[in-house]
Amino acid sequence: MALNILVVDDSKTVRSVIAKTLEMAQVPVDNLYMAANGKEALEILGENWVDLVFSDINMPVMGGVEMIERMHEDDVLRSIPVIVVSTEGSSTRIEQLKQKGVSAYIRKPFTPELIRNVVDDVVGGGNQ
Amino acid sequence: MNGNPNDVVFRVFCEVIEQMAFMFGEELETEAAEPVSEALCARMTFEGPMSGSMLLAVPDAMCPVLAENILGLEPDDEEVMEKARDALNEVLNVTCGNVLTSLAGEEPVFDLTVPEAATIDSDEWQALATDPNTVAVQVDEFPALLRISLNSSEK
Repeated sequence: MALNILVVDDSKTVRSVIAKTLEMAQVPVDNLYMAANGKEALEILGENWVDLVFSDINMPVMGGVEMIERMHEDDVLRSIPVIVVSTEGSSTRIEQLKQKGVSAYIRKPFTPELIRNVVDDVVGGGNQ
Repeated sequence: MNGNPNDVVFRVFCEVIEQMAFMFGEELETEAAEPVSEALCARMTFEGPMSGSMLLAVPDAMCPVLAENILGLEPDDEEVMEKARDALNEVLNVTCGNVLTSLAGEEPVFDLTVPEAATIDSDEWQALATDPNTVAVQVDEFPALLRISLNSSEK
């Protein structure tokens, strides 16, 4: 099953790297949406069906944590898995994010294999 | 603190540049970092159990290679230098985050500022290259200079 994926990061470079890595990891993608912050992401989520979100934490306008909290206030959006991709490696921060409903955490730098494994874990291995 | 900060910076940067840009780093004596006419320097600060700043400077000539390798750009991309600036910022961001975890362990939480890159001239490059606190790395055929500055009570 091809996935509709939303990538949320204020860095155009990171958005491009994640897109390239998804391709290298052979993750089947139908539509790939890009947002520069949580506010833009919520607008995209309100207008499109998205299966999976990759998100940074520290972003201007609206950060990743607030975006995840807003998603959990919505009956439809709360079921969409969110994978946080961040530089931060603090186990304390990762635990806080998981308590907020984050499905998985990927620390930069990452490999295509890691991305593939995490996507399989989060959405199931049937997306071959 | 776990280890000598400059040793950690060298090790982590080599890992990051290899994984992100498929380039290989090796030790370079700071005196051996030849003068360059223009360079790009990314800087950021961090706060937490340790606070301070970190910078990464590379010659202009390395920037297109960095952008091509990280983003998969074509060499004739018209926006290559602009994208290289963003790519350099991201390399510093990832390096800094991993350096702080190596130095302080996995429990502490740090707040990192968004890196900002600016052009530096040959005098600024030379000043950085001759600073004994600078870590010099040979990345393929290019020199790269890094410096981590910790607030005095945390060194």
